[in-house]
Amino acid sequence: MEATMAKAINLALRDSLAADSNALIFGEDVGALGGVFRITDGLQKEFGDERVFDTPLAESAIIGVAIGLALRGFRPIPEIQFDGFIYPAFEQIVSHVAKYRNRSGISLPITIRVPFGGAIGAVEHHSESPEAYFAHTAGLKVVTPATPSDAYGLLRASIADDDPVVFFEPKARYYVKDTIDQAATVPLGKACVRQEGTAVTVIAYGPTVQTAIQAAREASKADTSLEVIDLRSLSPLDMDTIMASVNKTHRAVVVHEAPVFCGFGAEVAARVSHDAFDLLEAPVQRVGGLNVPYPPSRFEKLYLPDVDRILEAVDHVLAYG
Amino acid sequence: MRDYLPRCPLRYPGIRLSLVADVVEVIRAEDPVGRLFSPDGTLSEAARGELGLDAAALRDLYRKMVVIRRADQEALNLQRQGELGLWGQFLGQEAVHVGATLALRPTDWIFPSYREFGMAMCRGIDPAEMLTLFRGLSHGPWDPRRYAFAPLAIPVATQVPHAVGFAMGCRLKKTDEAALVTFGDGATSEGDWHEAMNFAGVFRAPVVFLCQNNFWAISVPLSKQTAGSIAERAAGYGFPGLRIDGNDILAVYAATRAAADRARRGEGPYLIEAVTYRMGAHTSSDDPTRYRLDADVQAWSAKDPITRYKAWLMGAGILDEGSDRAITEEAEGIGREIREKLLRLPVPEPGEAIYGRVYGNPPEPFLREREEFEASLEQD
Amino acid sequence: MADQTFRLPDLGEGLTEAQLMSWRVEEGAHVEVNAPLCDVETAKAVVVIPSPFTGVVKKLHAKPGESVEVGAPLVTIESAADASEKSPGTLVGYGPGAGPEMTIRRRPRTSAPADGPGGEVRAAPFVRQLARERGVDLASVTGSGPGGRITRADIEAAARTAPTAPAPATTGGERRISVVGLRKAIARQMVRSVSTIPQFTEFAIFDATTLTDARAKAKATGAAMTPLPFFIRALASAVRAYPLLNSSWDEAKDEIVVKAAVNIGLAVNTEKGLLVPVLREADRLDLAEIAAQSARLIEGARAGTLTPADMTGGTITLTNVGASGPVETGTPIINPPECCVVGFGAIKLRPMVLDGQVVARQGAWISISVDHRIVDGAMATEFLTALVDRLERFDG
Repeated sequence: MEATMAKAINLALRDSLAADSNALIFGEDVGALGGVFRITDGLQKEFGDERVFDTPLAESAIIGVAIGLALRGFRPIPEIQFDGFIYPAFEQIVSHVAKYRNRSGISLPITIRVPFGGAIGAVEHHSESPEAYFAHTAGLKVVTPATPSDAYGLLRASIADDDPVVFFEPKARYYVKDTIDQAATVPLGKACVRQEGTAVTVIAYGPTVQTAIQAAREASKADTSLEVIDLRSLSPLDMDTIMASVNKTHRAVVVHEAPVFCGFGAEVAARVSHDAFDLLEAPVQRVGGLNVPYPPSRFEKLYLPDVDRILEAVDHVLAYG
Repeated sequence: MRDYLPRCPLRYPGIRLSLVADVVEVIRAEDPVGRLFSPDGTLSEAARGELGLDAAALRDLYRKMVVIRRADQEALNLQRQGELGLWGQFLGQEAVHVGATLALRPTDWIFPSYREFGMAMCRGIDPAEMLTLFRGLSHGPWDPRRYAFAPLAIPVATQVPHAVGFAMGCRLKKTDEAALVTFGDGATSEGDWHEAMNFAGVFRAPVVFLCQNNFWAISVPLSKQTAGSIAERAAGYGFPGLRIDGNDILAVYAATRAAADRARRGEGPYLIEAVTYRMGAHTSSDDPTRYRLDADVQAWSAKDPITRYKAWLMGAGILDEGSDRAITEEAEGIGREIREKLLRLPVPEPGEAIYGRVYGNPPEPFLREREEFEASLEQD
Repeated sequence: MADQTFRLPDLGEGLTEAQLMSWRVEEGAHVEVNAPLCDVETAKAVVVIPSPFTGVVKKLHAKPGESVEVGAPLVTIESAADASEKSPGTLVGYGPGAGPEMTIRRRPRTSAPADGPGGEVRAAPFVRQLARERGVDLASVTGSGPGGRITRADIEAAARTAPTAPAPATTGGERRISVVGLRKAIARQMVRSVSTIPQFTEFAIFDATTLTDARAKAKATGAAMTPLPFFIRALASAVRAYPLLNSSWDEAKDEIVVKAAVNIGLAVNTEKGLLVPVLREADRLDLAEIAAQSARLIEGARAGTLTPADMTGGTITLTNVGASGPVETGTPIINPPECCVVGFGAIKLRPMVLDGQVVARQGAWISISVDHRIVDGAMATEFLTALVDRLERFDG
């Protein structure tokens, strides 16, 4: 069926609530309003206000009580309203959600949904890409879809997983339509090749996958064949898919919206350099946000990676001969 | 009356002032704010007579409410026309914005959340320039030190500890300044709010906590936000709190002034819960028809702060139809000026807008990145 | 007078379209700035859009019920204002798809790899690896890439023309020989062996009378045979009895990996240096098959015609020590990641004690080096004893 990513996520939540009577959705404005992005639209009506409920405005407690609910046998799916509002919950996520199993042997089947990324013309704190903080934290799985179909499949897999997952939703892609297949399963920890190519591997995730595909389209006009990999899971990271591609291309570019400095691309670049040192014909290039706080939205297109900047990096790795 | 205040060593000459309150015994609070109000939170007639505001000052409170409401409407229109990315209306909360700001000294810092555009205008910040924040041209163009008006705080309640720290600093520097921090009912759920309230009590910080209880945190009503009273929470932190009618501008003015003066005297923090109503949507991205009844909004429009105050002023012979019309026309003109000026404001130079304010002492690699960025810019 | 077209803005941070619900104006009507134009429903809310211009409505671009993309024309108004006085484009509220009317963009840099630290040779890891494989000395290649970088094509060209052995460079009284290609590979492998494997060596002399008789018999039937196939046969059999010698140490996991197949590497001296072709599943072959295959491998190694498959996958290595000249034996170095290497010396008449008498008999030295992490002295001795036993009582 044809659906937006917002609708695909809504369907995944609906199907998860229907499949597991212990699944709970809660957060700020997820009830009657259906979330500020209308992702939980209609769910309270269908499943009642004991399974889909609004909480007070307190991110730390939203995640903290998710832990308690999980201990009592529930499968919580809390929502953090915006990327930039996750930080009060940082302690609960990093010190407890991530580490509870290691401290107690008890799995916490919590899926924390977070809209993330920029390019929507928003005010401060509404366009951030905090994924590296969480990918850096062992005990968490970090997942981000790039298409409506993956959004459905990955969210179902995240909720079904007994380990905690931080699920980053690229909000700039919420209202973009695509075909979704509810029957297809999308496992965690598996990247996919979005576009096959031979000259350079472009590794992207979430909102930048589409940009990378556009870059590949542009590059093909100049007879440069780019292979686009959509990581889908940042943690665990699927090095097999990356290595299979780099084996072929010997050149890699990694793209994300977060600032380049200490961004997730640093991990990808280091791993590729380590695992494929003798295969590389050029140093791995990173394309990402500038090393500044997210700028006022008028300037965000100068900050965010775009087709030109991906192609610039592609040219750079190709210039090594 | 509750017993509020920890015993204050200040009252005993010869005892060295300690920054940390020395709680020996709890004594009955002196509450110079509470005595102005009747038990239902309305400003007493006696107190109304003792405000010390002449007719011009009383008319100015009205004028400011009319002007900021008009500016609010212009901003909403500009958002609908694609000229602002987002707008959060403060329609219905004008009495708090004007009353509280005017009750302070211009040097008392205000720590706003994100809806205090009206307060900013009352502080003299240029509205068109301020709107560049919502136009995606800046993160806030004013110098907070010039206007004693902190940057807007978009993450909820994060500004509350800032205000407490500022107030602690005023006390350490032995100035007679007070700080005012304002926030919504939703903010009182955040950990930052409680931690800041506790600090304020412990350090006897000269800070006024001004809650604009507008009954809604986006779609979540007050009844689902807290199971208790906001004002009474102050007692748990060792200082007084009072719930007042936030749609009565004189009540807001009187309470804020009394609380700030009390803070200046070294008697510690105060929590004012100003009960008002968010007549508009949370922001331009919100759809309140999904979660609240039109009838409720209508009921509150009968308590509109501008209509009420206007009736009072006219009854007292301070305002007539002619001067009212002049004020409305002036507000219309200001609305037009805001639009015209905003649309003419130049787009800042990108290098400066993106890199200019990040560091006070920019490191070498940062400067190199900026240079590279600026060298890469071209005009289409 | 100028026509001003108002395009649908992104009304709610990231929206892509809106549905037109109803118009509040008609074509031909006069509108003022901020007068309501229409009602639209987005994914987030129903909102009223006020007019941004004063003037006469010239064209309504959509009908009620229609979906309008963000950035698409909504209404055209003939305005009294000069169009040039209009704001510099709709700056925000453009949605994730359509861009704002940006006048500034970032120009891609013309991409040249930066001049790195001033090394003599600049080449990517893959190119260096290629040079090693082709035996090309990077120092002798002029790079054609940016900043003098040596490219893959440069290596391929050099490999076609360059002599196989690099010309030694002389400086002062010393001679400096560039270490490239096979020499470098051997060097790395040997360094890896002695730096990662704690190895010890045991020696024995065996009585080769039976073996020599068998060789003579084979020679009589016309099948001329070196001693090597006999050594291989005996070694394969002994390894079967002591599988731990046919193993490797997995450093990543601290595990011993016991190999299923017995693949015997044969150290062959060639013009370029030492090569080790591998005789696969030697324990499943009879003497004649061993003779044929080992001969093929040794010839292939010397002629340079072996495939990578012939050179990899060894599980234990056999080498000759002192096949000629006065040398009797030596300490072979393990070929990592294997556990054991076996060295055979030359078979010749030696004084041996038989039934209390010193007699001249055919005999040879045999030495084994083993990985002490896997095998202790006692087992090494047992294995060496078993090997000697098989050689002395050789029965095909």
